Amino acid sequence: MDKRVERFSAPERLTHWLVALCYLYAALSGLALWSRAMWWLAPVTGGGENLRAWHPVAGAVFAVVLAVQFRRWAAQMKIDADDRRWLAASPRYAMHDETGVPESGRFNAGQKMLFWLQSSSAVVLFATGIVLWFPESMPRAARLASILLHPLAAVASMGGIIVHIYMTTIVVQGALHAMTRGYVSQAWARSHHAKWYRQLSDR
Amino acid sequence: MQTVAKLIDTSLCIGCKACEVACQQWNDQEYTLGTFQNTYQTMPDLAPNFWNLIKFRETEIGGAQSWLMTKYQCMHCADAGCIKACPSPGAIVQLGNGIVDFNRDNCIGCGYCITGCPFDVPRLSPKTKKVYKCSLCSDRVAVGLEPACIKTCPTNCLTFGSRTDLQFLAAKRAEELRADGFAGAGVYDGPGVGGTNVLYVLKHAGRPEEYGLPKDPTIPWTVSLWKGPLKWLGNTVFIGGILTALFHFVKFGPKEEHHRG
Repeated sequence: MDKRVERFSAPERLTHWLVALCYLYAALSGLALWSRAMWWLAPVTGGGENLRAWHPVAGAVFAVVLAVQFRRWAAQMKIDADDRRWLAASPRYAMHDETGVPESGRFNAGQKMLFWLQSSSAVVLFATGIVLWFPESMPRAARLASILLHPLAAVASMGGIIVHIYMTTIVVQGALHAMTRGYVSQAWARSHHAKWYRQLSDR
Repeated sequence: MQTVAKLIDTSLCIGCKACEVACQQWNDQEYTLGTFQNTYQTMPDLAPNFWNLIKFRETEIGGAQSWLMTKYQCMHCADAGCIKACPSPGAIVQLGNGIVDFNRDNCIGCGYCITGCPFDVPRLSPKTKKVYKCSLCSDRVAVGLEPACIKTCPTNCLTFGSRTDLQFLAAKRAEELRADGFAGAGVYDGPGVGGTNVLYVLKHAGRPEEYGLPKDPTIPWTVSLWKGPLKWLGNTVFIGGILTALFHFVKFGPKEEHHRG
């Protein structure tokens, strides 16, 4: 009953936390640049001149490691018919009334949506980030577009991350442990990802 | 405090470039060799160490050959796009007398001001990673002196004074030019940016592009959108997201493990 099931392999966990670390720095330093009301984050993230230098480096590392993570997970993140029904029933999922909420595979539809949200916003953040990194060698039109699209993509991304962090640290107990230590109990697997659990047991 | 201004009467400019030299000298700028472009243009563009440029334009207006000499520098806008775009508090400041000035200790070198400026004036130095532009000689003005370029101008093309006085003077001068046969003469003072503290008298005020000046300068809409509606959207997402999570936690709490199927 309390047999362990491997949920995330060591490479999966490593890339996740590398991405998370870069994201955390980029988000905090980015928030300092977002609004003068958040400028108190500038000294926290190294001071104005340093954060201007480090924010894009953190972003670039983020993009590279995220690309590795994308390659690894993209195939498992395809939205299928069950996922569409899951999304339709997601308000009930949120209220812990799971009648009529389809069983999930290794990733539930919410996680898949987060994956695609983060991947697509990362593409925008990366492309516009390069422009903002080297403004002196970029055409004006690109700078004008980037100065708007970069924070826009960041808002979308961070909105998703707020939900992600809340879900994985508080709502779904055991999810954080799955990402730190790599395994979950069979009961957890059956409870949260029944389809995945059956696939594992069938093997 | 009175708003100070600089009046540039382009009809009196002879393109001597003494203002360029005075600016370099007073602000202690390193000299960079210009490039010969087969025209009277000496320096190609504004630079981190070159804040005052005379643009030479050879053009045809109304079938007549025109040599347009135009002084180009920071316009010291009332509604300054550089300040709007700048993320670092206190890096660009608007003084009580209307001068838009840099406090370079606070400049982080992001270059957002360059994008926010409708006149394409600030320049990022790759060496110091700071941004530079004309300060309207705020140090001279603070002690009652006129800016260096104005001090040196030999033709009275440049005048320094209160903005109100210079507006009056500019209008009068434009009227004179119209009476002299330049029907299109007028004043260029950037109403789209709340008025600039650098005023131009142009013989062809309807065609400022011929002088290398933007037609209707305004703060770029992407900058305004970012600093306005997007900021509200973002704050709603951030604060709303956290509040929603808090509400959810209080009302529903964590999921219990349950067994299905």
